[in-house]
Amino acid sequence: MTGKIKKYILLVIIVFALAGLVIVYKTWNKPHQNIENAVAIKITAAALYNGFANNNAKTQPNFINKVIAVEGEVREVLRNEQHQQVILLKTSIAGGSVNCTMEKNANNIKPGSIVLIKGICSGFINGDSAMNLPGDVFLIRCYPSE
Amino acid sequence: MRRCIFLLTVLTVININTYAQLYFTKNGNVNFFSKTILEDIKADNNQVLSVLNIQTGTLRFSLLNNAFHFAKAKMEDDFNENYMESNKYPKSTFNGAINDINNIDFNKDGTYKVNVTGDLMIHGVTKNITIPATISVKNGKISGSSVFNVAAKDYQIKIPTIVTNKIAENIKVTVLCDYEKK
Repeated sequence: MTGKIKKYILLVIIVFALAGLVIVYKTWNKPHQNIENAVAIKITAAALYNGFANNNAKTQPNFINKVIAVEGEVREVLRNEQHQQVILLKTSIAGGSVNCTMEKNANNIKPGSIVLIKGICSGFINGDSAMNLPGDVFLIRCYPSE
Repeated sequence: MRRCIFLLTVLTVININTYAQLYFTKNGNVNFFSKTILEDIKADNNQVLSVLNIQTGTLRFSLLNNAFHFAKAKMEDDFNENYMESNKYPKSTFNGAINDINNIDFNKDGTYKVNVTGDLMIHGVTKNITIPATISVKNGKISGSSVFNVAAKDYQIKIPTIVTNKIAENIKVTVLCDYEKK
């Protein structure tokens, strides 16, 4: 094998190795999904909650891990342990909410406001029947939507 | 009629007293941290439902695995798809009790070191564990915290050898909850 061929083989190996490194780097550092600009499934807070509370098995694949825009009346505005804003949307069940953890705080949202919140639906957690505490439907990485 | 009214009053009082012992949160925090040579891996879940009965010490936690948020999207994908298999095992739960509940005076401000024993279910595997925790009472508000280690292999979480240098065998888990009265 001549020195020239060896050089070409080495060059090809280096090019492939560099391409591999770039792919690994880009995959490892790919950004999170842009929720604000994502196409969302629109639904009311009451319909979403009833879907999970009454027919969880059928509702799950339609909403879990999907970007959804939920319309409803604000029950309460809270802060979580990391001081993120949490907006609870009223449902037809007293004490059962669509629980939205905001990515960006929305200072104009107050209890009683009608809002449209866009976020990723993570699912439903049952409450405690002995305690008469209803569960919530949870949304993460939320933004106020138009 | 009088008997009915008396019975109704007694039942209402019993009901109020029962609920007076119950505390809950739906936005508690569970986070985990794994320090490695290459990169620190940290994720937070701020949608933890927890209920606490201060009379019996019964304590329950429930969270959705897909609500853990990582700094990197790839970490989040790997966690849900390869390690936790969140579609197959969507929830992690803990059902147990505070062992030394009688040592806590919930009517007085203070910080109490306690032990909590119960069943921790992760990735469909349930293990009975005892972990240290701290209960704080301040101005009538109750909060709880705990730091403990979870070994991935105890819960049959398979981590490919190619990435074992990225994830420590023992993962440090921190729990923070501020409870409100039911």
